[in-house]
Amino acid sequence: MNCPTASHNPELLVALAAGELSLDRAQEMERHLAECPPCRIAAAEQAAVWRALDAWDAPPVSVDFNRRLYSRIDQGAGLSWLQRLAHAFRSMPLRQALPLSATACLLLMAGLIAYNPIHPVPAAPNGNIVRANQVERTLDDIELLRQFNSAGSAESAHPDAM
Amino acid sequence: MGAVAITLDYDAELMLRVKEGDGGSFAILLEKHRASVVHFVYRLVQEQAIAEELSQEVFLRVYRSRSGYEPTAKFKTWLFRIATHLALNWLRDEKHERSQERLDDVTADLPARQVSDRRPSVEQELVYEVRLEEIRRAIAGLPEKQRAAVLMHKYEEMEYTQIAKVLGCSESAVKSLLFRAYETLRARLAHMEPS
Repeated sequence: MNCPTASHNPELLVALAAGELSLDRAQEMERHLAECPPCRIAAAEQAAVWRALDAWDAPPVSVDFNRRLYSRIDQGAGLSWLQRLAHAFRSMPLRQALPLSATACLLLMAGLIAYNPIHPVPAAPNGNIVRANQVERTLDDIELLRQFNSAGSAESAHPDAM
Repeated sequence: MGAVAITLDYDAELMLRVKEGDGGSFAILLEKHRASVVHFVYRLVQEQAIAEELSQEVFLRVYRSRSGYEPTAKFKTWLFRIATHLALNWLRDEKHERSQERLDDVTADLPARQVSDRRPSVEQELVYEVRLEEIRRAIAGLPEKQRAAVLMHKYEEMEYTQIAKVLGCSESAVKSLLFRAYETLRARLAHMEPS
């Protein structure tokens, strides 16, 4: 077998400490360790690390873990899309939430602009026509009134003409 | 390997049932993987309350993404990918610095406790606490990906291929991460004798 230390390949040393080697491979490795002091030292150190890590127990999970989880699931089921969005941002670190919020705002504004353009709304062409007609009609009315008045004054000046 | 394949099929099958609206299958998956996820996240972030909060988020995301679930990878790989992503994000956040400060406070308390009571059982307890603190610090001192790789390899007994999928890198990259991590840990922890 290749010497793990000389070949800079610690895979076998790690696998030996982890108990991942087959019986044959483990026996072969043990034979090598008996002959190779550097590998023996490395294997002993790796085994010591393994034992040290074994000592680190994680605390038990809280008894109400499931209850809290299902409560969050139930809350989520009744939320609107806006509330879910808010919740997603709330559980996100500020460093991530800020750029995402800014991007979301920009997209929202872009969407609003696309659907409701800010530039002034041009007057409808029909509106111009209506206004021109109205002006023409008003001018006609004024002209008619003026003619009527002038006719009336002529009439009063020459009553016999009637 | 056969047992792993059966586990994969069973978990994926359960998740497919969850996709179809079977809440009972989700409960089975939760029961099966809850402890390993919480413990993994705890060893990564080293704070129990945060670990449980993040683990809840992991299972919440699994549940919420049920409709789009496709069994393209092992369920556990997918689960730990979400867990690693959330935990590493948290570690990168400012909160990590605050927790480190709290960790320092705990260490600073230890000598005072040692002086106050000299009974052997308490001494043993203190020796254990000091050793544990040393282990926690050694793990916390590893770069993030090395830390996650070691925790999955040592405590979850995950294969290199599975760890590679979780971390989104090649199998050879995982081996390199692991061996560098164990080399660092050997330098820091090899002096420890079993109590």
